[in-house]
Amino acid sequence: MKRLIIFAFCWLACSAWGEAEVQLNKVEVATDLPTLARGAETVMTVCNGCHSLKYIHFRELAKLGVEKDKVDGWRGSNPMGTAIASQMPADAAAASFGKAPPDLSLMAKAREGEANYIYSYLLGYYTAPDGTTGNHYYPPTKMPDVLAVAGVTDPAQLAELNKKAREVTSFLVWAADPHAQERKSLGLYVLGYLLVFTTMMYFLKGRIWATLEKV
Amino acid sequence: MASRIIGWIDQRFPLTHIVKHELTDYPTPRNLSYWWNFGFLAGFVLVLQIATGIFLAMYYKPDVNMAFDSVQHIMRDVNYGWLLRYIHSTGASAFFVVIYVHMARTLYYASYHKPRELMWWTGQVLMLMIMATAFMGYLLPWGQMSYWGAQVITNLFGVTPFMGDKIVMWLRGDFSVGDATLTRFFSLHYLIPFLIFAVVGIHLVALHTVKSSNPSGISLADKDNIPFHPYFTIKDLFGLGVYLIIFCTFVFFFPGTFIEAANNIPANPLMTPPHIEPEWYFLPFYAILRSIPDMLGGVVAMGLSVVIFAILPFADRTNIPGGARHRPVYRAVFFVFIADVFLLGYVGSQPPSGALVPIGQVATLIYFATFFLLPPTSKLEERWMRARGLSPQLMALFDQRPPREKMSHKGGAV
Ligand code: HEC
Repeated sequence: MKRLIIFAFCWLACSAWGEAEVQLNKVEVATDLPTLARGAETVMTVCNGCHSLKYIHFRELAKLGVEKDKVDGWRGSNPMGTAIASQMPADAAAASFGKAPPDLSLMAKAREGEANYIYSYLLGYYTAPDGTTGNHYYPPTKMPDVLAVAGVTDPAQLAELNKKAREVTSFLVWAADPHAQERKSLGLYVLGYLLVFTTMMYFLKGRIWATLEKV
Repeated sequence: MASRIIGWIDQRFPLTHIVKHELTDYPTPRNLSYWWNFGFLAGFVLVLQIATGIFLAMYYKPDVNMAFDSVQHIMRDVNYGWLLRYIHSTGASAFFVVIYVHMARTLYYASYHKPRELMWWTGQVLMLMIMATAFMGYLLPWGQMSYWGAQVITNLFGVTPFMGDKIVMWLRGDFSVGDATLTRFFSLHYLIPFLIFAVVGIHLVALHTVKSSNPSGISLADKDNIPFHPYFTIKDLFGLGVYLIIFCTFVFFFPGTFIEAANNIPANPLMTPPHIEPEWYFLPFYAILRSIPDMLGGVVAMGLSVVIFAILPFADRTNIPGGARHRPVYRAVFFVFIADVFLLGYVGSQPPSGALVPIGQVATLIYFATFFLLPPTSKLEERWMRARGLSPQLMALFDQRPPREKMSHKGGAV
């Protein structure tokens, strides 16, 4: 038990050390439906080969505006309400990569740095001098360079990759919290109401206390 | 009609009497500042936590295979489930903000003095119960932080001499945190808030017996007391509005502030997360735990740091009323103590390395010294203040101060 605590402390120390080293790239997360739909498409065609999205159902992809026949193609004979499983069984993936690919539906909230981390991680692949591929943000990662980022130098191609990574990231941010937009717009009404309420209470308090004689 | 119904009830139950005695005629010092709003706010937060918690429990599943998914079900599929959950998770932090301010106000004005010792001690019991509830509630989402936090904290009980392992197993219901732990924590997390509600009742009965303290530190003459309703109901409502604006800003715009990223990963007993850090409200105590090089000593010090507040009515030996309001030394010590708690909180949030280790140890020393040095310093302070000559204002307070034995005349049945 003592060891567990000491272990935890060492981890704390190591991770703080590691954190100080890498700077994440910032991404401007999009919330418009066309971008989210394009992100969904990349995720379904590229990432879903290995990753599941178990809290998202095919129906929700259609609601985002992904074309109906594409959704139908992905779901096959499954009903629209089916949760999105990975195309590769988890143990097969674990066997070939040495680690099961984690579910992506909550990923955007499950890492320090959130959206910025995913964006940086996807674009973080490079070719080392010895010809192997590495990742700046998660050096020991078992995930291959799925967007084929490493070694790309052509600016047009790089811009295309950045755009794609941003779309994927935006979709994953949506997937992690589908009610975020609704929450923020409701929040504005709530705060507006509270401001009016509080102002009224302030003046009402002044009037009620004015009935007291001064001491 | 209405008056007839009330008359009917009054013959059988003291309804009108209670409303008068506790509300419309209840004498409240008119000079209370906004720092006196926090007791009401704590009650409000408690009710909100219970209300949202009951609805969350309708969808939550306390089972290691379903708990994490059921929280996501609440967040995604249940109508306004996200709102319930974010109010509840933000509310936990809000609860601690409110009760810590409430306690700091009591400390500042030394309101724990006679005749309010029982208020202070029931408040202490409430704080311990809230801490236990928050700790157990944190396990329920069954994320990585939930699991490892519970694992580390229950482990601490293993330092108990002779039967440490037995106690740890008794708490967890298993060799390590697992399904048995989750179900029992859920059961207690649902139970304790209702016990808290009952203790709040006791806290309030005591309050209405001794009445509110006030910034001047003395019991006021009758003319300076005004009815609670409408003067303080409206003041509390205004305070509630301000509180809700801040609270809702977090709920609607920054709800992730109090949810660790690692807690969005399902609990995995085979993978220790890089940071195991308690919630912010436990950090000062956690820093004290880590500052003592010996495990047993650390656990004892941490436990002591939470309950030591109870000695204040005895430890503070002054006769000068009003706490920091009139006592320069006490005031200085108060601010040093608050700063020290913040420093400990910071130390608790960082990996214990380099200069932070001795800093944490000095901060721990200051924390305990504040309490243990209070008996002599409060005596010396009073002697020093009297030698310098009390201000006329303070002399007047002394003269007005009712003799001790007469102090109970304000009390009465509640
Ligand atoms: C060829 C299979 C494969 C594909 C395709 C794939 N991944 Fe992965 N992914 C993995 C594996 C394996 C891991 C586990 C890596 C590890 O933890 O070492 C992983 C891990 C991750 C992680 C978590 C990294 C971390 O910090 O733990 C993210 C985020 C991620 N993938 C995103 C994506 C996205 C977005 C796509 C699509 C653009 C994608 N993956 C496509 C195999 C894949």
